[in-house]
Amino acid sequence: MAPVNLSHRRTHNLLLISKLLNLRDTASPLTLLLDSLEQPATPLIQEYIRRAKLSKVHVTLVAFETVKRPDGCDAIVYTRRKTPAEIIKEVTAAYQPVASAGPSKRRLIIIDAINPLLSSRTVDPNFHLPSFLGAFITPTKPAALKSDASLVVTYHQDIPGFPPQNPYLPSPFSVLNYLATSIITLHSFSHILAQKAARDRSLAAPVFGLEEEQDGVLLGRLDKLVGTGAAEGIVLELEHRRKSGRGVLEWYLLPPASRYSANHVKEIVTLLDDNILYNPPMESAYGADEEPQSTFELGLTDRQRRDREGVVLPYFDAQHGDGPGEGGRILYDMGEEDDFDEEEDEI
Amino acid sequence: MPSQPPLPPLLTSYLSSQPESSLTLISSILGATSNWLVLRYLYSALSTSNSSNAAIGFDESHNGAKKVVLVSFLRGWEFWRAEAKRLGLDLARLSDKKQFAFVDGLSELFCPPQTANAAPSPSPISAGFPARTTIPLRGPPGAVPGRAPVSALPALRNDNVARSPAELGVAKKLHFSGRGTAALDALEKDIIAVIEQLKAANDESEEVLLIIDQPDFLLAATGASMGIGATEMSEWVMGLQQTVHTTALTVAADSPLIHNAAASGNQQSTPVEGEHAAFAIGLAHRASSVMQLRTLETGAARDVSGVLRISRGGGLSGANGLDEKELLYYIQRDGSVKVFGRGES
Amino acid sequence: MSFRKRNIGLSAGVDRAAIPNASAQPTPPESIPGIRPSPDDGRPTTSTGTPSLDGLLAGHAGLPMGKILLIEENGTTDFAGALLRYYAAEGVVQEQKIHVVGVPEQWGRSLPGLIGTAESLEKRSDKRKDERMKIAWRYERLGEFGAGIAGSRDAPTPTGDTDAASKQAAFCHAFDLTKRLAHPSITNMTFIPLVPSRGSPFVAILKRLQDAVTSAGPNTIHRIVIPSLLNPTMYPPDACQPEYVLQFLHSLKALMSAHATRITAMVTLPLSLFPRSSGLVRWIELLSDGVIELCPFPHSADALATSGAATSQEEPPQGMLKTHRIPVLHERGGGSDQNVGQDWAFNLSRRRFEIKPFSLPPAEGDKEAQDAPASSGMPKKADLEF
Repeated sequence: MAPVNLSHRRTHNLLLISKLLNLRDTASPLTLLLDSLEQPATPLIQEYIRRAKLSKVHVTLVAFETVKRPDGCDAIVYTRRKTPAEIIKEVTAAYQPVASAGPSKRRLIIIDAINPLLSSRTVDPNFHLPSFLGAFITPTKPAALKSDASLVVTYHQDIPGFPPQNPYLPSPFSVLNYLATSIITLHSFSHILAQKAARDRSLAAPVFGLEEEQDGVLLGRLDKLVGTGAAEGIVLELEHRRKSGRGVLEWYLLPPASRYSANHVKEIVTLLDDNILYNPPMESAYGADEEPQSTFELGLTDRQRRDREGVVLPYFDAQHGDGPGEGGRILYDMGEEDDFDEEEDEI
Repeated sequence: MPSQPPLPPLLTSYLSSQPESSLTLISSILGATSNWLVLRYLYSALSTSNSSNAAIGFDESHNGAKKVVLVSFLRGWEFWRAEAKRLGLDLARLSDKKQFAFVDGLSELFCPPQTANAAPSPSPISAGFPARTTIPLRGPPGAVPGRAPVSALPALRNDNVARSPAELGVAKKLHFSGRGTAALDALEKDIIAVIEQLKAANDESEEVLLIIDQPDFLLAATGASMGIGATEMSEWVMGLQQTVHTTALTVAADSPLIHNAAASGNQQSTPVEGEHAAFAIGLAHRASSVMQLRTLETGAARDVSGVLRISRGGGLSGANGLDEKELLYYIQRDGSVKVFGRGES
Repeated sequence: MSFRKRNIGLSAGVDRAAIPNASAQPTPPESIPGIRPSPDDGRPTTSTGTPSLDGLLAGHAGLPMGKILLIEENGTTDFAGALLRYYAAEGVVQEQKIHVVGVPEQWGRSLPGLIGTAESLEKRSDKRKDERMKIAWRYERLGEFGAGIAGSRDAPTPTGDTDAASKQAAFCHAFDLTKRLAHPSITNMTFIPLVPSRGSPFVAILKRLQDAVTSAGPNTIHRIVIPSLLNPTMYPPDACQPEYVLQFLHSLKALMSAHATRITAMVTLPLSLFPRSSGLVRWIELLSDGVIELCPFPHSADALATSGAATSQEEPPQGMLKTHRIPVLHERGGGSDQNVGQDWAFNLSRRRFEIKPFSLPPAEGDKEAQDAPASSGMPKKADLEF
């Protein structure tokens, strides 16, 4: 890839992720986070909340699986034993924009896991996922001030779904994928590195956790994975649909939260391709025609090269013999450097 | 052989410190059951000192001891009492002191009790344990409590005891009736009542640890046709979780129960498998720590019972400082446990 | 750990009984026939009717009371049924109450006939073994070693020596499959039929079991025999709904834990209909205290008939046996027993069901194996030449 191209991509795509994570300009009304046990979305959600706090965005957590209100979260709405309509009502009520507060305040609504809702048996069969999600982004109450709401929905990919009642309907997961304006799939950095290392050697990529299909293994993630060193962080695979209709696909790296302070403003996300562990800088890029370095001097001086070309190999003459029986003689002229002992050696 | 401490040193930090409203998931398989780990949780929460010989509960004004509610769906009171005794925990006494409560999800969950006027059933307890008299039984220090034999037969028992001593420790017997969330709500109400009783008992420590042993069985044995699915079960757990300080759950993570459905081709999976996988994996997403028990991949070894992998779960209230580890354990014949790293012994 | 006396855990029941703690146990003043304390921890156990199966159960030398043993079988053979008949016959001889679920009364008439105590059979076979050793002197050491293993595993003789044993009532008996059991207490068997009903077919069964157990005297020992659970020729199709079968097993477990010293149960399950890879079967296994899987060899293969036998005189094994869970041991948490994870082979002869360590055939079999590819390789070369 040409370096120019890369730097262009870098500026563009870093700007994009920064916009998305900072919820600027409602770049993405509906963000879908696809996570798994191997890399839960928790750190990314915490990053969302951190950034929201920095820019004074109101954060509501719709808790399908969280029990305790996380730090930085302004409101938490428990969904236990509530119908979708009740949930929407409570979420809307959780934030009352003050009319005189000048510019309308933005708000972030996080659904910590959508799976329970999708596989619930108590939910009305006429439950309509698109309108449920839509109700968060554009509240039906017209009296309310127009507040820019962004919705971040987590979907656990490894939780099996259930066959829909109507076999002709698309699965809820496909619907979510279709509706989302950006989709972030989370990967563990150490796993990505292990898979890349295997790919570079043309080996089958290793699998982790549930995919190992080992009896008794739910999680394969361990801090110290063999051979990856201290590869911390989360890999974000972003698929973003622009308003123009164009799609963007990029891989990013989010460093662990311990690497920066909570008030850090500058962008911390980098491109995965810029990571030194993922893409080690190649030496050969600078000096392609240099010989490999060694303690042995393998090169030749000009004089040595000339001498080498002048050497006549022993069988050279024998190849054009003058007659029968003539070919095959070894023509060798003794040089002074030959250590020839008259008494011992005979030609 | 040197006796092992009741709490393996390598596990102490994992067993004792759970952040508030956290969920710990313990997964087990057919050949590597979780009972020993649950017992270590009980011990860590209930015992007052680390010296195993000290009589438990001697010191009334101890600190740090939490209250524990144990809900067990697959094992009866007798099992837990006898096994805890091996560790030096007298659960019956602790439940008298309102520090511990056992909720029995085994004996009458699906079969309602026999008609009340029937003669009291012959005492279920094995007479190997002498009937508790006014003085609580306390083994002499140094005696191996677990060796108390269970040999004698009910023939010795007099059948006139209306309520056998063994049942004194059982705070509540769960009954499942009806279907759907209503049935679950009834169970939840029963358990919460026990939790509240424990909380109400005057004591400065309010921290209640709730241990539910194999709630996944409830899901498997009721299933979709009774209107109970993984979501309903998870909500049930959440409802209980909200009333206590910390929660620990054990679930089965056997390959047929998890991977048949979690694998890509989930067409062939049966509802039992699908619901179980959704429930167990969903819990792991919520848990702050996941303790996975399994057998050795390389086959059985003489001095290794299994592998314990401790990982962080996906929960938001996750213990970020948790050190992920994989350890081996060995259950000795006397019930004591040795935990060690690979390559150590 | 370094001071651990390595032998203790590995030796036969005799050594274990010598552990001081065990001697402290109160001896029941009134001994009930067929029940004896486990040499491991003193809990009451009863015999499965198969000495080598008793020996497999983690040092308890019998099935601990209050436990459910699940025998699974692959294929269409009925080795599990033989184990079940031994189990029932042993119960009849010990004058226990037998409850058989789901099969007609003919099943009770096919129980194997009594031919004495297990020790008597053991002695006879020992004698035979001695004779053989004289012939094959080269293998004498090997034979002794094997006998030692077999003796410690499949015949954990009662703690006393022989004359003490003869004074005591026998714990385990030997049966002959070709004979029919005639015993006065054979009428102690009750057969619980499956009655067609709406809802769970197990509710009526459970009710009868509960009534029988609670109404019987406290001295009565019960054996619950459930042949071929969920077999579609006996059970209605909806019996395999998890809410029916799992609730039944759970209630059975509850019943047994409520009368923990008076009941044992043995269940067999046809794996070819309900494979182990299914979640339902795994739950059935998780609800059982012991899980044993039988994998019979295909009978037709003649080659297999000679393989696997340590010597040509020994009967060849008829299949492999796997222990997935052992009562009490796994409930405590782990497979530290030497019997777990080992390869076992079983052999059913007229007089006994024997379980012994599986060993690959020695040179004899290898030679055949080497010959086979050589002979098959030759025609290939010939084929290549035109």
